[in-house]
Amino acid sequence: MKRTFAHPSKKRTLSADKIAFAIATLVVATLIGLILYLWVTQTDQPPILTIQQTQPIRAEQGQFYVPFSLKNIGGKTAEAVQVVGELKQGDRTIESGEQQIDFLSSFEEEEGAFLFSFDPRKADLKLRVASYKLP
Amino acid sequence: MLMRKLRVAIDPQWTKELQDWLHGAAGGFLFGIPLLYTMEVWWIGSYTEPPLMLIVLAITFVIVFLLNRTDGFRQVNPDRPMQALMDSIEALAIGTLCATLILILLQEVTLQTPLDEAVGKVVLEGLPFAVGVALARSILSGDRQAETNENSDTKAAKNSPQSMPPRYNATLADIGATLVGTIFVASNIAPTDEVEMLSAATSPPWLLAILVASIVISYCIVFVAGFTTQDRRLQQQGAFQHPLVETVMAYLLSLGAAALMLWFFHRLSPTDPWPVWLEETLILGLPSTIGGAAGRLAV
Repeated sequence: MKRTFAHPSKKRTLSADKIAFAIATLVVATLIGLILYLWVTQTDQPPILTIQQTQPIRAEQGQFYVPFSLKNIGGKTAEAVQVVGELKQGDRTIESGEQQIDFLSSFEEEEGAFLFSFDPRKADLKLRVASYKLP
Repeated sequence: MLMRKLRVAIDPQWTKELQDWLHGAAGGFLFGIPLLYTMEVWWIGSYTEPPLMLIVLAITFVIVFLLNRTDGFRQVNPDRPMQALMDSIEALAIGTLCATLILILLQEVTLQTPLDEAVGKVVLEGLPFAVGVALARSILSGDRQAETNENSDTKAAKNSPQSMPPRYNATLADIGATLVGTIFVASNIAPTDEVEMLSAATSPPWLLAILVASIVISYCIVFVAGFTTQDRRLQQQGAFQHPLVETVMAYLLSLGAAALMLWFFHRLSPTDPWPVWLEETLILGLPSTIGGAAGRLAV
């Protein structure tokens, strides 16, 4: 090491533009590598949409909040996903709410909440995904 | 080892290489920012198939290569095809890095974002950035600008009274140029929904990061990137002509203009709570400041 300090030879030190070029090549190669990885691991599965109530229902100022989380565990992106929350008592629907999620790509998760004025714990609560379209 | 690192850091060759990269990045930001504030591009990025991503990347590379044959981001003309080829890979890398940085800042790419969505966004947003990098020299300096400078100089000499003190002139010219650049870039973004969407997704620490990034990028464009006017700018005298003071003043000016534009385009009303004003102004402030910096370079 000492000899290098004493005689800083041009052969030993890589020139700045070569190192910069190497870094650049690494960045581009990483990007291409990631795309190829996605290509190889890509599944042709259509969207599989699951909806779950993630947190307990909370009551604020006479309204009941039902938080939900929507996840796409399929391979393709779903567009305009329609989520419906219904509150039923027997055959009768007391209240219902709708929500549309713009884009849900593979393994993406979105969260939201339905609001009811009737306590959902005293009725039959149903959360479901009604529809989507392919982009 | 440390000694070697230190020597590398002060090597003039490195300063030049870093300047070239910053030069390229400045061009990339100018060209790429408007498309980064377009939600349709994020959406398209989130469902682009990998083969298409490769095609986009290849097309970008060809465009950048052709531009590098004539323009480029270095201070010298890369006339040899081999040099242009190497520069194209660097331009692609600079574009990708800058686009990724801003996508992270705007919370469009987070740790929760699925990999395919993140890569798609970076590839699509990287395209205008890489083109901007390859155009850096000609959009921000060079012959064309020297020509217009000459023209405006002769015009100014004819029109302006000679008695005006030059110090006052320089500051006033900077204010005017900042405003023109800010309005040019931000008026494309202010009326759209993106500002609202981005401000809904952000949080205080990220707003601070956006603020810091705005100032750093603006400073780099005007004072570090090594454009032709840089030496002249550093010599300018006056109360607001110190590089740091000028950058911060220009940032405040751009923020003010951004807030006014948001109000003018009915995105904000005086009855809105102040945190909404602050958030949206800071988010629009990023492209505003970049436009303002470009404006000051053109003067």
